[in-house]
Amino acid sequence: MNQEQQHTGLLLLGVGGGGCRLATSVRAAYGEGLRVLCVDTDAQPLRTAAGAGIPTVLLGGSRLSGHGTGGDAILGRLAAQDDLESLCAQMQDARTVVILTSLGGGTGGGATPEIIKALHDMGLATICFATRPFAFEGDIRAKLATRVLPLIEETADSLISIPLDDLFSDAREEMLADAIQVAEGLISAGVTLLWRLLTKPGFIQLDPERLHAMVLTGGNARLGFGSASGADRARHAVEALKSCSLLRKGDSLAKASAVMLGILAGPDLRLAEIGEVMDALRGHAKKGCLFEMGTVLDAQYEGRIDLVALSFESWSAAVNQPAPTAKDAAPPTAAEPPVADTFPIQPGSRRSRVKGSKLSFGATGRGKFRDVEPTLHEGQDLDVPTYIRRGIILER
Amino acid sequence: MAIPPIAALEIGTSRTVVCVGESENGRVKITGTGSYPTIGVRKGQISDVTQARTSVETAMKLAEKQSDVSIWQVLLALSGGHITADVSQGVLTIRSSDYVISRDHIEEVTENAKEVHFDADRQVLHTITQTFTVDDQPGIVKPEGMRCKTLKLNIMAVHGVKSRIENAVNVAKNAGLDVVDVAFSGVCAALAALTAEQKRNGVVLIDLGGGTTNYIAYSNDVVVALGSVAVGGDHITNDIALAFNIPQNNAEELKRREGSALIDTENAAERITLKNAVGFEERTLSCKALHTVINARMNETLCVVRTRLHEAGVLPHVGGGVVLTGGGAYLRKVTELAQRIFGAPCRIGVPVNVDGLEQEEQPAALCTAAGLVLYGHMTYEDRGVLAPVKNIFKGLFRR
Repeated sequence: MNQEQQHTGLLLLGVGGGGCRLATSVRAAYGEGLRVLCVDTDAQPLRTAAGAGIPTVLLGGSRLSGHGTGGDAILGRLAAQDDLESLCAQMQDARTVVILTSLGGGTGGGATPEIIKALHDMGLATICFATRPFAFEGDIRAKLATRVLPLIEETADSLISIPLDDLFSDAREEMLADAIQVAEGLISAGVTLLWRLLTKPGFIQLDPERLHAMVLTGGNARLGFGSASGADRARHAVEALKSCSLLRKGDSLAKASAVMLGILAGPDLRLAEIGEVMDALRGHAKKGCLFEMGTVLDAQYEGRIDLVALSFESWSAAVNQPAPTAKDAAPPTAAEPPVADTFPIQPGSRRSRVKGSKLSFGATGRGKFRDVEPTLHEGQDLDVPTYIRRGIILER
Repeated sequence: MAIPPIAALEIGTSRTVVCVGESENGRVKITGTGSYPTIGVRKGQISDVTQARTSVETAMKLAEKQSDVSIWQVLLALSGGHITADVSQGVLTIRSSDYVISRDHIEEVTENAKEVHFDADRQVLHTITQTFTVDDQPGIVKPEGMRCKTLKLNIMAVHGVKSRIENAVNVAKNAGLDVVDVAFSGVCAALAALTAEQKRNGVVLIDLGGGTTNYIAYSNDVVVALGSVAVGGDHITNDIALAFNIPQNNAEELKRREGSALIDTENAAERITLKNAVGFEERTLSCKALHTVINARMNETLCVVRTRLHEAGVLPHVGGGVVLTGGGAYLRKVTELAQRIFGAPCRIGVPVNVDGLEQEEQPAALCTAAGLVLYGHMTYEDRGVLAPVKNIFKGLFRR
């Protein structure tokens, strides 16, 4: 492990087939010096990752013999429980773990919440980038993703959900087969940008400490990016960022309570350009929005400006708002329920996070039985609450 | 022959119980009980020897005080998912000229049947004689004096993982007690709670403990199946704690106060107010949701037992009923739930075969310890069906 990795304490973790592909392509785009780990129940993607020199952990090898879950999230969860120990052993020196996963699959949907919970219990900060399946992938995958998101939200310090449909909101012309690949390309570009920002020394550095602090209080976020080159590149880059469909065409930026912005450019970046970008975005955002900004100067960005933004819509709500009372079923008012129209947040789940997620027991898992030998019956771990295994939705 | 007082120790997952019993006019009377919450035991197995020892010492002192004897030797009840039973068969060809089965023949076929080799890490707790097959005639209980050429005997061996049994024994040893014998909790509970008639008609006893659910089935006076599932009342508590995001002790209290094994239609709309720690606002939760969580777990646990009995092929023979013992038997409506699952009458079992526990508030929770005292008396007299027997009970107690 080199000096840089040790210093940042950052680790990129790809979970499931989709997550591993994303992590591999981020690693390819970033190059050496990025600490990556890939985990999956299927041995095939892991072989690809291992070929690229990435350490891997096979989940549920004894249970599934490396054949994947076949879309069964329960199997994914059990597999994760089987091998949590060997996974956690890979976390030495890490402080902040960035998880890439695609929900909708058995491993992504089943194992991710379990893994995040374990990392959370280890005291690590977790940022989860989770893609939600395309509508054309079918109801079952969509439903699984919808069900899993609140579970991740419960334990992850920050959840960035990326509905793949949003990526192509106005470009329905893509070939179906290409769509996933294109989406993954875009996301990995965004994550790579963020990563460079954190690890490469820059003019105004956005250091991992600030990311750490931000995600610990930030809650859910949206990721967006835009780039431009040539004359007037600063203005065009902001326009590109604002029209990024992942940020709902700037709508998310306008509503955000905090924005973490990275500017990546060549050594030819002028001070005036930074000012232009910030002014344009400040003008777009609502009053009192907190901006955290960093720049990276890299010769390979000569002549262009890349912007990457994490917009935290509920950030200030978490810190400044008095916690609503139990009877108040409505979510915090100042920041609109961040992405409530894309996935249902159970009333109160945000509140419970704010009040003391470190103290609470998670919504899934084995609770007090987490460190005893599991009781298995017909492939099920009886220590996991029955209502969870049977998918019973409880009246709140 | 006078039998000295016998002390039984059960290190349960939620409570440690000590019972002292003396023989009185042919029946065993419990003269002292001590019960104390257990720490350091999960799913029936010792996880922290030092903590468990404290519970044992406290429970023992309480029992000593009540019974006015000083305890230094005990019998120990064991449970845990590792305990299972296997049936093996012994075969003997009768070579005597008249083909009459003698006592020697029975002893020889018993020895044959016991010659089963278990893995080195397993320890046999009991060997229970089932039935003899005299030539082609199965189901014979007393073959002595009958004529045949081939005598067969089925024996059920109850065994568990040696190291885990030793762990439990060590806890008692650390508390200054000498463990003279160990017995499976399910067997003990059956001794205390089942009547001879029930055993003849066929019955299932399910001991709903804190960390394990033990079961034992009788048909025609013979033990036909037994075992232990490492799921118990603690799992219900844990489920509640996770479902409503509350601490374990609050969940336990909620289970005892408001819990029900069936979803109550009458007060489904009610909400339960949680008492919270200072500084937090009051919370309420849906009564129906609480009952749903408990029902899901309880239903599953009983269904696992039902599946095990079905696999052993004994389900059709135990129509006589279901008897529930252990602390879990006092969960509201659990008998109704069991009745639905097994399709047979169900009731809470109390230690009917011993005296002296009539005043107890929850006698079903004492079945195991009381039954173990009974087990001690039976092995002392060496007449029991539960075969033998380290018979060194002399000087068990000093007054």
